[in-house]
Amino acid sequence: MTALTTPRASGRRSRPAIGSQLFLVLLTVAFLAPVVWALLSAFKPANDIIRSPLLFDPSTFTLDNYTAMFQDVPIASGFLNTGIVLVFKGAITLFFAPLAAFAFAKYSFIGKNLIFGAVLISLMLPTIVLIIPLLLEMKEFGWVNTYQALILPGAVDAFAIFWMRQVISAVPDELLDAARVDGCSEFGIFWRIVLPVIRPGLAGLAVLTVMNIYNDFVWPVVIASSERMATLQVVLSTLSQNITGNRIGADYATVTGELLAASSVALIPLLVLFIALQRHFINGILAGSVKG
Amino acid sequence: MTVMTAARARRRLAPYLFVLPFVAVFIAFSIYPLIFTARLSFTNWRGSGAAEWVGWDNYTYLLTSPGFWNSLANSGVLWLLIIPAQLVIALIAAVLLDNAKLRLRGFYRVAFIVPFVTPLVAVAQIWVVVFDTNYGAVNGLLGLVGLPDIGWLTTSEWAKPTLALLFLWKTTGFIIIILLSGLQSIDSSVYEAASLDGSSRVRTLWSITVPLLRRTIMFAVVLQTLAVFQMFAEPFVVTQGGPYNSTTTAGYYLYNHITRADLGTGAANSFLLVIVVMALSLVFVRLLRAKD
Repeated sequence: MTALTTPRASGRRSRPAIGSQLFLVLLTVAFLAPVVWALLSAFKPANDIIRSPLLFDPSTFTLDNYTAMFQDVPIASGFLNTGIVLVFKGAITLFFAPLAAFAFAKYSFIGKNLIFGAVLISLMLPTIVLIIPLLLEMKEFGWVNTYQALILPGAVDAFAIFWMRQVISAVPDELLDAARVDGCSEFGIFWRIVLPVIRPGLAGLAVLTVMNIYNDFVWPVVIASSERMATLQVVLSTLSQNITGNRIGADYATVTGELLAASSVALIPLLVLFIALQRHFINGILAGSVKG
Repeated sequence: MTVMTAARARRRLAPYLFVLPFVAVFIAFSIYPLIFTARLSFTNWRGSGAAEWVGWDNYTYLLTSPGFWNSLANSGVLWLLIIPAQLVIALIAAVLLDNAKLRLRGFYRVAFIVPFVTPLVAVAQIWVVVFDTNYGAVNGLLGLVGLPDIGWLTTSEWAKPTLALLFLWKTTGFIIIILLSGLQSIDSSVYEAASLDGSSRVRTLWSITVPLLRRTIMFAVVLQTLAVFQMFAEPFVVTQGGPYNSTTTAGYYLYNHITRADLGTGAANSFLLVIVVMALSLVFVRLLRAKD
């Protein structure tokens, strides 16, 4: 919080008027209502969710939707797959992106501008463009429905390098040179000097990376559609199709209850992580985005 | 002397090793697929068998097909429904949050970014339930004030606004934070001068804040334009492109080629989409530059 309250901001302008406060409160309600509604409704009897969606009666509290959902939906294996991808892809990105960014920020070498230019251009490319050829490449490698296919493409993300380069540029050169005089190796400088110094930026990158991997959907749905390999988001996406796709025999109320329970279970880990680390995350975006 | 030269040699070599992992992943999973897509777009390959060179056929087919133009038009309408509303809401919220005297400032910042953190698929599921014509909470609310039910997801007039609402809900908080980062780099003396002049708050916002924030706003518009024209998971989960293709976005239309194994056409569609998105981005950059 304090990092954002720059000295000049305090003392400026008066307390906002009633209209402004009202605007912010309405916006808060609009932003939180769908999530709160879903979290609460998941504890209602399935029939009540659709019969009286706006009524919350604590006496009808039930875990039926959750027990049914854990029985019908392979959500545990979805969590496991997402967890495995998260650990490996996250580790690769958080190690190799700052390493490459360090080279871009603090060294001169042949091809530097060319490679960094490619990084910038790839930021502009719609990810969906690469889906078809990547899918074919994975087929060629025999990687369809494997962890490698979920982990490697998109690891060492271009945005992470772009962001970390800006962060590492701010590290004073004198610090690096002093370590060199002390006989530190080039990698030692990165590991023992740069990484500890940029820890706040790295924390911001970590939150964003975890969020991106956890929420990733387009690539997993194309490459890991088998039930065994489906990530959490892919598992979730099949649920609503049972409603809108009119699966024969599916009871609308039951599916709705299970769907809300599954969505709640998927929401909660990220919400907890985010609320615990929100300062790093928001300050990370604030530091990483383009300045006016 | 030999120690010095060895250290210097290591220093010269180090950056190549540091960028090597990134470059390897980048070539394997970005550059190679991109070149592959380019070649694929001139063939009629359907995923197996021999590919036949068809020249510009895929491009001329798309450019003369109503489906392709319909998908671009749908994305264009969504863009109009989303971007202006989002900029106005985000700008007002960011200006209010930039005031250090605002009560609950930290709370609002967290509340606003919650939608951005939630998994899109989970939220899209909630949208399906909340906007259901017969059982949804939104029509329930409308009923309370005596308004008739609306077919949010079942009529082609309302499906687009409902998807636009989902997108607005999900991403506006992120845009607020980006604009806030721009606001925090504006020198407060500018505002002091304005308040000495006796400028009203709205006038100050329009004639001082917005021009100074131009680059940040441009960054946000380009970012969101890319996102709107690539929009895929929202229609995939909520509407499956319907009713009557009214929510078949440019991204979803592209995906349809993949499911039909029409890979040559899909590849050509990818490049046409890139051209559209890059052209739009350039237009915004020009428009905002022209004001200088």
